[in-house]
Amino acid sequence: MITFSSVSKRYANGYEALKGISLTIENGEIVVVTGHSGAGKSTLLRLAAGIEFASTGNVLVNNQNLAQLKETGISVLRQNLGLVFQDHKLLFDRNVFGNAALPLEIAGFTRIEIGKRVRAALDKVGLLNREKADLVSLSGGEQQRLCIARAIVNRPSILIADEPTGNLDQAYAATILDLFRSFNQVGVTILLSTHDGSGLEHLKCRRVELEHGVIVR
Amino acid sequence: MNATLNAHMQAIARAVGRMRAQPLATCLSIAVIAIAILLPLGLYVLFDNVVNAASQLNTEPNVNVYLELATSDQEAKDIEKKLRAHSNSAQVTFVPREAALADMRKRANLSDLLADIDTNPLPHAFSIKLRSFEMSILEAMRKDTLSIPKVETVTMDFEWAKQLTRFARFIEHLVMLLGGLLGAAVLFVVGNTIRLQMLTQKDEIVVARLIGAPRRFVLRPFLYFGALQGALAGLLAVAATLGIGLWVGGEVNAFVASYGGNFFTQGPSFQQSLSVITVAGIMGWLGALISVSMYWRQIETSR
Ligand SMILES: Nc1ncnc2c1ncn2[C@@H]1O[C@H](COP(=O)(O)OP(=O)(O)OP(=O)(O)O)[C@@H](O)[C@H]1O
Ligand SMILES: [Mg+2]
Repeated sequence: MITFSSVSKRYANGYEALKGISLTIENGEIVVVTGHSGAGKSTLLRLAAGIEFASTGNVLVNNQNLAQLKETGISVLRQNLGLVFQDHKLLFDRNVFGNAALPLEIAGFTRIEIGKRVRAALDKVGLLNREKADLVSLSGGEQQRLCIARAIVNRPSILIADEPTGNLDQAYAATILDLFRSFNQVGVTILLSTHDGSGLEHLKCRRVELEHGVIVR
Repeated sequence: MNATLNAHMQAIARAVGRMRAQPLATCLSIAVIAIAILLPLGLYVLFDNVVNAASQLNTEPNVNVYLELATSDQEAKDIEKKLRAHSNSAQVTFVPREAALADMRKRANLSDLLADIDTNPLPHAFSIKLRSFEMSILEAMRKDTLSIPKVETVTMDFEWAKQLTRFARFIEHLVMLLGGLLGAAVLFVVGNTIRLQMLTQKDEIVVARLIGAPRRFVLRPFLYFGALQGALAGLLAVAATLGIGLWVGGEVNAFVASYGGNFFTQGPSFQQSLSVITVAGIMGWLGALISVSMYWRQIETSR
């Protein structure tokens, strides 16, 4: 469960990206944040992942107030989240397998276990036959799918995905959304953002629309 | 427990992986560190052998007392009594000047030199065996003996031992100084390679932290990297010392053997080698730790 109560976020340069956000994402729910560019979608998601912190108000994840967590607490929290970044944050000096394996290395899995889980995750996003490929040889969409594979490889209970379908064509976007739905069916809570709501027609989800840092719908 | 062990094993594996990814750079910095260790280690080993060789020489210490040339036999007898009475003399042997000359003539290489001499240039002498070799007692004894009339000079032929001790202390200080300086060099070299490592790994550090890597996950491979580099350099330095010892030692031994000595017998012992490798490893670890702490903040704030 993720709870925002009266959250505002003012960046160091003084810009207020979010204003008075109150929002609860229940366990097992899918919440899609939409809004124009610069509306504050990424900011909202970063607050939920403890990458940024609220200027006022509280953000609670699984009943833990993120502002009160110590550094190790934040680490533990992030290990239990699946994070898809808008700019992917992939490592170009590792191949496909190596990128997807990173969360498992951090969690301290054995080599064999890492191999099994990484292949399962790559299979889900259709990259199994590319596991040894260099990142530069991947298309934008493939990179995005790899980013999703990395987010799900550790089987998180909450998935926070910033525009996970941004670079994908309709068909692949639908596959990814199907994938998210299948995760959701086994209990994974999903918070995702998208700048246009297209392709979401078939997704049973709650939509939240941001405009200039304020929830308008 | 098992998870912790596994985490450490993986950190080591990643450290080794990074070393293998840049074999040339790794070998170079290991070589530089090894040279830094080799200097004080080599000096220490050499010194150890010199002291060892010196202690093997005949060092039965005794004091020789030479009288003035114009000393009668009777006067010599009186002096002998006084010498025997000294609390530190265990045995006093009179060496008459005639006997000394005869002894000298027997030595082949000196007989030519002495052939032309009519008068005996050698004085009466005494050789004294000692009870105590303590420096203060010896100094007092020298003074006492010199104060006896007709005594010309007193030589203590273990003076060299005193010199050796002084020399030993000097070398010891030199080794310590060099060790300290070069220890700092090891820290610096390792620190610098770690800094470069961190720069090339910056993206990985940032991403790993973003997806929940604890600080230790990021730091461990660097620390192992530093420790491994240090230990490998230590091993290389020990091997080089042994190698040089064998190579030079053979020559020196052949040379010294002709003088009845046995010089280069020891490289660093197993225990010494082990401690050199351990200390080098610890230095590498420290260098990495310092470097990592210095650049950590820079990287953490750069995401
Ligand atoms: N680190 C930052 N420092 C200052 N301002 C920031 C920072 N990050 C974002 N902003 C500003 O906050 C506002 C919201 O940014 P955010 O990235 O949340 O928007 P978004 O809805 O994700 O947009 P997009 O659809 O383009 O990704 C923007 O005006 C942006 O310029
Ligand atoms: Mg965004």
